[in-house]
Amino acid sequence: MSLLRRNWLWLLALGVLLAFPFLFYDWAKGRHSGFALTLMSEIGVMAIFALSFNMLMGQAGLLSFGHAVLFGLGAYCAAHVVNLVKAGTIWLPTELVPLAGGLGGLFFGFVLGWLATKQRGTAFAMITLGLGELVSAAALMFMGFFGGEGGITIDRVMDTSLLGVRYTSPWQVYCLVLAWAFIAAALMRLQTQTPLGRMANAARDNFERAQFVGYDPRRVRWMQFTLAGFFAGIGGGLYVLIYEIVTFDTVSAAKSANALLAVYIGGAGGFFGPILGTIVVVLLQSGVSLLSNAWLLYVGVLFIVMVMYAPVGLAGLIGLHAPIWRAGRLRDLVLPYLRALPPALMILLGFVLLVELTSFTTIGAAQGKHFAIAGRTIDTTSPLPWGIAVAALGAGALWLRREARAFRLRWDALMEDAKKQAGAS
Amino acid sequence: MSAPAIELRDVRKSFGATEIIRGVNLGIARGERHAVIGPNGAGKTTLFNLISGRFPISSGTITVNGKSTAGLPPQEINRLGLSRSFQITSIFPRLTVFENIRCGLLWSRGYRYSFWHLLGGQKTLNAEADRLLERLKLRDRRDLPAGLLSYAEQRALEIGITIAGGADIILLDEPTAGMSHSETEAAVELIRGVSEGKTLVMVEHDMSVVFGLADRITVLVYGEVIASDTPAAIRGNAAVQEAYLGTIAA
Repeated sequence: MSLLRRNWLWLLALGVLLAFPFLFYDWAKGRHSGFALTLMSEIGVMAIFALSFNMLMGQAGLLSFGHAVLFGLGAYCAAHVVNLVKAGTIWLPTELVPLAGGLGGLFFGFVLGWLATKQRGTAFAMITLGLGELVSAAALMFMGFFGGEGGITIDRVMDTSLLGVRYTSPWQVYCLVLAWAFIAAALMRLQTQTPLGRMANAARDNFERAQFVGYDPRRVRWMQFTLAGFFAGIGGGLYVLIYEIVTFDTVSAAKSANALLAVYIGGAGGFFGPILGTIVVVLLQSGVSLLSNAWLLYVGVLFIVMVMYAPVGLAGLIGLHAPIWRAGRLRDLVLPYLRALPPALMILLGFVLLVELTSFTTIGAAQGKHFAIAGRTIDTTSPLPWGIAVAALGAGALWLRREARAFRLRWDALMEDAKKQAGAS
Repeated sequence: MSAPAIELRDVRKSFGATEIIRGVNLGIARGERHAVIGPNGAGKTTLFNLISGRFPISSGTITVNGKSTAGLPPQEINRLGLSRSFQITSIFPRLTVFENIRCGLLWSRGYRYSFWHLLGGQKTLNAEADRLLERLKLRDRRDLPAGLLSYAEQRALEIGITIAGGADIILLDEPTAGMSHSETEAAVELIRGVSEGKTLVMVEHDMSVVFGLADRITVLVYGEVIASDTPAAIRGNAAVQEAYLGTIAA
């Protein structure tokens, strides 16, 4: 029972995530929205990937530029295993395919980690960058394993399911992704509470101290890297099941950058930050990219803004409210937040308008597209929309500065109160 | 009597062309409280770094608990039963005070690199860490990130991390440096308590601490031992007076 009480948040999240796709359910046709399900499956896979990245980044202070290598190689391993199962060479339930990916990631994490974890800090980052390029290049050279440009394709519909499910529909795949995402997240969460996980934190904080309490920091890094490879590989295995293809994109630097973006935007400090960051990044990538040519720019700007103004990430920002929440004064912040909202929206609007106007005069024009808002075509050559954009941006910025000052005062006062209250109790 | 806890034979250390430690011979008996004193730049901290394996020695031999430390990395020397603190506070700033102590305990309690034990469930281990916190008078700081402690508290925590693993040889590098008078007194009491029945070696500048705690004192000047004797004998030693103590005591 106490297990239930302690983990109610996880169960709640699971319930919400199971129910969520029904918001997009087409009741007339009686089927799920394939787009929504694939998007959510992608979030699930990328969340595992980002969490495993954070085992290095947040937990062990190791900035890797090649984490996708472990994800991608896990995916390739899983793809080959599926094809072997299909061919009848080996037997493995569909549900355990991600585990095959995980073992692949574990193996490559062990091998590549031996090299990468000889160093820490910048040297580690450079080695992982090199390994990423190395594997990307190898992916186009070793046809047998990587399948060249075309990659390896699979058919996920096997007759080996333990549950009698054939995984023909995105809904069934989504459920499998969800199950594995929860298993992987729970295991990674537990890993932070083990001696190895704790010593990874310790070696991150002060590797020399770690040595003088009896630990070999290099061994700690290596084991942490290997385990991160295992979880990244599970993500890779799920990726194969969703898309039924794995190409060298999965080991690319761009894929590695995705994990880094998600972790920075979500926050590396806590455990759940990367999940939050993943949701934002995937939505921008898969949602906004349908609407705008400039989606990558939005991701980039968001990343820069977060690194500059909120290095603790979204989860960290939420965490900052904890003392005020504990003091029961959170509602005193509602009004200041509401007051900051209009100028913030104005800035956003002005910025988006400016970016889109630019993008439509260049890429858009080349593609023969027209910039339309609510069905009305906007003339990108007329000065009016540009003027509006600049005005909104400028006025919004001035307005936000004023509100921000008021917000700051309110915030500091509340923090002060909260501190006193905590001290008194 | 068994082999000395630490034995140095003709230990030398050079950085580039400069010889910092110039042929040190020193035996530290088991159970002794031993202070190393000397003017700034005499090589006291370097000597600690050599004994604890932070730097390799250029020549000579060092044995810890009867075993040669040649070629051993710091963690393996630590596993021989030698633990040290640092002149500049060295803790795990982002971990809580409790976690800091627990990290000091982990290896000696056999957890090694385990990723299958959940620390929350290790009752004996956690109780042990809490007992040590009590002793360090850091109980009410238990769940604070160690980086937020006051300087004196961080120094106490560092001593805690150093002794947590139960090493029988403890090296403390200027444990009371930068402390107020009352903080120093508290630190001395703490050190006296935790070094009970163990071998203690410390570098210290505060002569009241040195003469109050040490059973034996070694005077290091320009990388050489000019005297190693009881406090009373050191006080009366003319060479020491001239080289070092005289400048303070005069």
